[in-house]
Amino acid sequence: MNQEIYIFVKRNKTMLFTAWLVALCGILFSCDSFVDTDQPNSQLTSSAVFESKATAEAAMTDIYAQIRENGIITGKLSGIGNLMGNYSDELIAYETGSYSSGPFYNNSILASNALISSMWNSAYNQIYAANAVINGVDNSITLAVADKSQLKGEALFVRALNHFYLVNIFGDVPYVTATDYKANSVATRMKTIEVYNKVIADLKVAIDLLPQDYVSANRVRPNKAAAQALLARVYLYTGAWSEASNMASAVLNNESLYVWDENLDNVFLKESTTTIWQLAPAYEGHNTEEGMVFIFSSGPPPTVALTNALMSSFTAGDLRKSHWTLAVTDGTDTWYHAFKYKEKTDTGTTTEYSIIFRLAEQYLIRAEARAQQGDLIGAKEDLNKIRHTAGLTDISADNASDIVDAIIKERRLEFFTEHGQRFFDLKRTGKLDAVLGDKLGWNSNDSLWPLPQSELQVNPYLKPQNPGY
Amino acid sequence: MKNYSFYKGRSAFWYLIIIGFTLSGTPALANKLLRQMQYPHQQNQIKGTVTDGTNPLPGVTISIKGKRNSTVSSDFNGQYILSATATDTLLVSFIGFKTAIVPIRGRKIVNVKLQEDITSLQEVRVNAGYYTVKESERTGSIAKISSKDIEKQPVTNILAAMQGRMAGVSITQETGVPGGGFNINIRGVNSLRTDGNAPLYIIDGVPYSSDPISYRQTSTTIPGESNPLNSINPSDIENLEILKDADATAIYGSRGANGVVLITTKKGKAGVTSFTINTSHATGTVTRMLDMMNTQQYLKMRRQAFANDGITTYPSNAYDVNGTWDHNRYTDWQKELTGGTADILSMQGTVSGGSEQTRFLLSGNYRTESTVFPGDFLYKKGGAHLSLDHKSESNKFRISFSGGYTAQKNDLPWTDLTLLSRNLAPNAPALNDAQGNLNWENSTWQNPLSNLEGKNRSETYDLVASTLMTFQLAKGIEFKSSFGFTDLSSDASRTAPSTMYNPAYNYGSEYSSIFKNTLGRQSWIVEPQLNWHSAFGRAEIDVLLGSTFQNQQTKTRIEEASGFTSNSLIYDLTSASYLSVESDEMLVYKYQAFYGRFNYTFSNKYILNLTGRRDGSSRFGPGKQFANFGAIGAAWLFYREKWIENNVSFLSFGKLRGSYGTTGNDQIGDYQFLDTYSSSGYEYQGLHGLQPLRLYNPNFGWETNKKLEAAFELGFLKDRVMLTTAWYQNRSSNQLVGLPLPGTTGFTTIQSNLDATVQNNGLEITLRTINIQKPNFNWTTSFNLSVAKNKLLSFPGLEGSPYKNDYVIGQPLTIRKLFHSTGINPQTGIYEFADINGDGQISYADDRETVRNFSPKYFGGLHNQFTYKGWQLDFLFQFVKQLNFNFASTQGYAGTFRNQPAEIVNSWTQPGDNAQYQIYTTGVNQEAMQASEYYAESDAAVSDASYIRLKNISLSYDLPQEWLKIMHCKISLQAQNIFTITSYKGADPEFREAGFLPPLRIVSAGFQFTF
Repeated sequence: MNQEIYIFVKRNKTMLFTAWLVALCGILFSCDSFVDTDQPNSQLTSSAVFESKATAEAAMTDIYAQIRENGIITGKLSGIGNLMGNYSDELIAYETGSYSSGPFYNNSILASNALISSMWNSAYNQIYAANAVINGVDNSITLAVADKSQLKGEALFVRALNHFYLVNIFGDVPYVTATDYKANSVATRMKTIEVYNKVIADLKVAIDLLPQDYVSANRVRPNKAAAQALLARVYLYTGAWSEASNMASAVLNNESLYVWDENLDNVFLKESTTTIWQLAPAYEGHNTEEGMVFIFSSGPPPTVALTNALMSSFTAGDLRKSHWTLAVTDGTDTWYHAFKYKEKTDTGTTTEYSIIFRLAEQYLIRAEARAQQGDLIGAKEDLNKIRHTAGLTDISADNASDIVDAIIKERRLEFFTEHGQRFFDLKRTGKLDAVLGDKLGWNSNDSLWPLPQSELQVNPYLKPQNPGY
Repeated sequence: MKNYSFYKGRSAFWYLIIIGFTLSGTPALANKLLRQMQYPHQQNQIKGTVTDGTNPLPGVTISIKGKRNSTVSSDFNGQYILSATATDTLLVSFIGFKTAIVPIRGRKIVNVKLQEDITSLQEVRVNAGYYTVKESERTGSIAKISSKDIEKQPVTNILAAMQGRMAGVSITQETGVPGGGFNINIRGVNSLRTDGNAPLYIIDGVPYSSDPISYRQTSTTIPGESNPLNSINPSDIENLEILKDADATAIYGSRGANGVVLITTKKGKAGVTSFTINTSHATGTVTRMLDMMNTQQYLKMRRQAFANDGITTYPSNAYDVNGTWDHNRYTDWQKELTGGTADILSMQGTVSGGSEQTRFLLSGNYRTESTVFPGDFLYKKGGAHLSLDHKSESNKFRISFSGGYTAQKNDLPWTDLTLLSRNLAPNAPALNDAQGNLNWENSTWQNPLSNLEGKNRSETYDLVASTLMTFQLAKGIEFKSSFGFTDLSSDASRTAPSTMYNPAYNYGSEYSSIFKNTLGRQSWIVEPQLNWHSAFGRAEIDVLLGSTFQNQQTKTRIEEASGFTSNSLIYDLTSASYLSVESDEMLVYKYQAFYGRFNYTFSNKYILNLTGRRDGSSRFGPGKQFANFGAIGAAWLFYREKWIENNVSFLSFGKLRGSYGTTGNDQIGDYQFLDTYSSSGYEYQGLHGLQPLRLYNPNFGWETNKKLEAAFELGFLKDRVMLTTAWYQNRSSNQLVGLPLPGTTGFTTIQSNLDATVQNNGLEITLRTINIQKPNFNWTTSFNLSVAKNKLLSFPGLEGSPYKNDYVIGQPLTIRKLFHSTGINPQTGIYEFADINGDGQISYADDRETVRNFSPKYFGGLHNQFTYKGWQLDFLFQFVKQLNFNFASTQGYAGTFRNQPAEIVNSWTQPGDNAQYQIYTTGVNQEAMQASEYYAESDAAVSDASYIRLKNISLSYDLPQEWLKIMHCKISLQAQNIFTITSYKGADPEFREAGFLPPLRIVSAGFQFTF
């Protein structure tokens, strides 16, 4: 056979040569660059983003848009304003099904609940984005120093804010400060107190970095006071009374920016002088997600209504009942909806933004912190400020414990449907079982929501699940 | 037929049809043929008719032995005329018939009767992509179906026609909704990525991207990803080959790991121009429904649920049971919402003809398909196909063009009503009020018909064109190059107009919203090749060298808009008060390769086939772009050995073949190696947000797949019995995966290579027998069986990885880890499960240790064909042995405001009960709800979903030629999914994702005219 091949090669020399030539051409032609592609035109490399102020700001403000659209405190049905309202005693769910407020109203959430996992995932996605901003800003050599501190301050604030809500909702949670996926994918649960310490540390740095004034119109990007307001709340939740009082004072004393308004109808307008931080709407003309979710015009309500328990806790003459809630009737039955935000639909120009921090909370934080420290006069002064605006008389209580009880009651009427304030108040004061024990599905394990099932499945180090799930 | 609108998009198709008619009437072609026939003189004109014994055969090739350019074809009456001398010999040949050698012996009229040759399949050339090979001499594993099998089936997607007909090819229809998807696995699941298992599709030499064109927000009616093969009209397909082993696929290198599907479209046949029209009308209904509770059973369940929960006063929103709704009303919602009949109309016209030098085929088709849902929804599909071939008189230059254009327009409700129809309370109110308007029953329910207000519409236009030029440089050397182009554009939208909502809520058009997905994808490919064939002595050599340059651009734009001034302007995004562009991107995929084949045949008995490819793909980061793949295949045609020929006379064919090689997989999406930000689609105070796009990994590279195969092919009794047995073992390693990540990383996946190895092995048996072969009566049977096993061979670090809860070493990838159900606690009435780690509680992470495998254990088909004179009867049984989730996986816990399967009536009510299903709850018994969820992921929710299905029956009758002088007519009755034998607890056992519309049973009647 070898002989045959030899003859064959000899006879077909030209052809083999041609073949070889073609192969060679192919290889030369093949310059590997054919498969090199340019940067896709809809993407920017991470380092390029932090070369200019405009793109770096776009990366930062996108996190606020994400918070507005799918964050823990979004005004949509999936935010804790609605879900914690149902979970505690503010709202009653009229919709059923697993992807709805129903299981929250029944206090029978399962670890597989899709709203829980999307809440968790989007919170950590925002934390990742904040960490990416911090890295990008730190590594940038072109950004101005002032811009760097503004952006880094905002990112630290957002990181602290998300972890604050996570620790309150889920208990011990990982505190994520880097973008390294290898480390983050084996994150373990950090003790609540340590999470709080990290939140406090981040906020302190943020307060140093952020300017006194807002960098944009309508108070939609956090300034120093926004970080102080959150820190005041953190101190209140952790029982650091004097720090809470001081931090609230730091905000309240800034009278050039924050002016108390006696008119309840002004509080939730976008120009409100009591607003510390609010979220810009998706587009001009759009109003709040809260207005869209809570307001309804005929019964039975399509989604949720205020509970009788809440409505009956307003005392006669409380202007908040007449200004911030509205009755809807079909002739036989009557339902109430939250009416803090008046606009359900779009208007020519936007009149209301979703408010995240407002002045009333700082008064009530200081009132409670003062009462806890024995400053009863100061406490009552702050509390009465809120009561007067609501058309109520001075508080009659004269001991610290009664005043604190009165403050908690006041907070219920002041902050209903606002980001789960009611639930967190009951929780930090140890009153969950006493107040919610009558609900059919309630049990004492319900103080924490379950960690998402999917999360425990892909991260074996996140164990254990919260009790009762 | 009201939808035969001649609107813009289809005008191209009608022009083509008109041109086709004009061509068919052109006398020029016929004259030319005649001129040739009358030349040269001194010859006699010979006439005759070619038949198969009963009917005339058109298109038969008649030539004179030893004379070039003497070839003519018979016309539609089977008649031919040619000039020959009295001593000439005619060679009469036709595909599927034995070639007849007829000496003229001075006759003027020579009638020829051809004998059908069912055993000639061994001589048919099989398309192997870059080359063709004789069926008997192929070294690789290639399965094939042809137009003969396809045209018997009333299906829109070619994949439906393949079910049960091809060994090693497992196809699952994902939904009965028109235009819906299919899942195809060739020899099992190779990749851990669920979207990394698609084969490579090649249409007339042009790779056709199987990357999804759908977007979740605009295609929720259709689960899974829309299959690109919807764009191919099954009746335009001549042959479809599936390349399975390394020998056949290694030449496709990085894209061959999951097999290659080669589609060859129909080509014109020389001869008198023939015109064919096919029309058919079919109806489709749902194959199987789930047996649900009636009103009595349902209300009993509800009352018991409230009692179980200790609720004595029914809440105000429990309308079903608190007296708001009629307790005596009953509606079968499945029948009401998915029990309709889909109407399927189709027509196709084909013109074909030409001379020996130039042949053409032009066809146009139009098809409409409605749904089983209420309301007017229609899927329309129309297209044209053109094929042109030309060869120079010297035969040295050949060029062929094939082009297809398809327009699809799909109009569906915004959501699949199947799951809803199983959830609605049976005493829910009437759909319409006395005035015929939607009934909202005082705002106590969401009327299901309101879903019909929302529309899911899509339009897809698709062009695939290819040209192949071949030059013969010298004897045995050919240079060829193919040029291909594809252009796909798709526009899909899903609307939620305010009319979907209860009018009592006063939602105006400012609440209307739309999602829109616009996609355009163009690709071109150039593949220059050099072929060389030579024979010397007893040896033959084939060498092929070639290269590929391919570029594909995909542009997508996804928009969301809401708040319209009027609902009739919902498709006009400029009238939206809110418009957000979620993404607007262009992806470029570039691909380059060099490949070669060396085939050596010695003494017609020993064949060696070497193939190889070097591939580069832009999908990988710098330095990782190139990789090499190759295979070796060999065959031994031992029946040609003297000692076999002499000793084993009953053996008419015998071949032993084997192959080993590597292929790769680059189906991972584009640009995954870049660390980038992109627009989030959100706006914040006028600033358009930028968000980190993904976690990036610059280091991932090729996934490789090693394939080994050995096969034994035998033919007995003059090939009347053909048996093929193939064994294969594929191992894929360096798995490219979208590694699932916990949310704490900020994302849910990252692309990376895992050091895991997956093995697929199996046995494929095909048997074809010609049971009866008489002049007027034939009976053939073919049977195929595939037994497949999948196994995760190794996975270092599995325990600490996110895959810990999904995979087990030594088990298939298609497993699910499940809880083990141990029945019901007779005291509490709640499901109980085995506590595997003994920690006293049940948890997903630690107690799901029962393994069930969801890939078919074996599957196959049995096909019988009977022909008697003009009659032909075919039937195909398809069988699958498999497990699948039953209704427990989708129905949730019982006792809520949702209907349940009738079987659930057998539930626990009081201590001591030994019921099959657990205690009802209205949604407050968290323990029971949790247990129900565990149950849905336990071995109790998995049951046998094996089935035997009469997949297809086709009966056709060719009207005798004498009846209709001028034309040929064929009548056919066809049916698909006729009946199913299964013990499955649920609706239809064929699905991948539960809760969608099952495949339809289709019955069709059609006519075919040829003249």
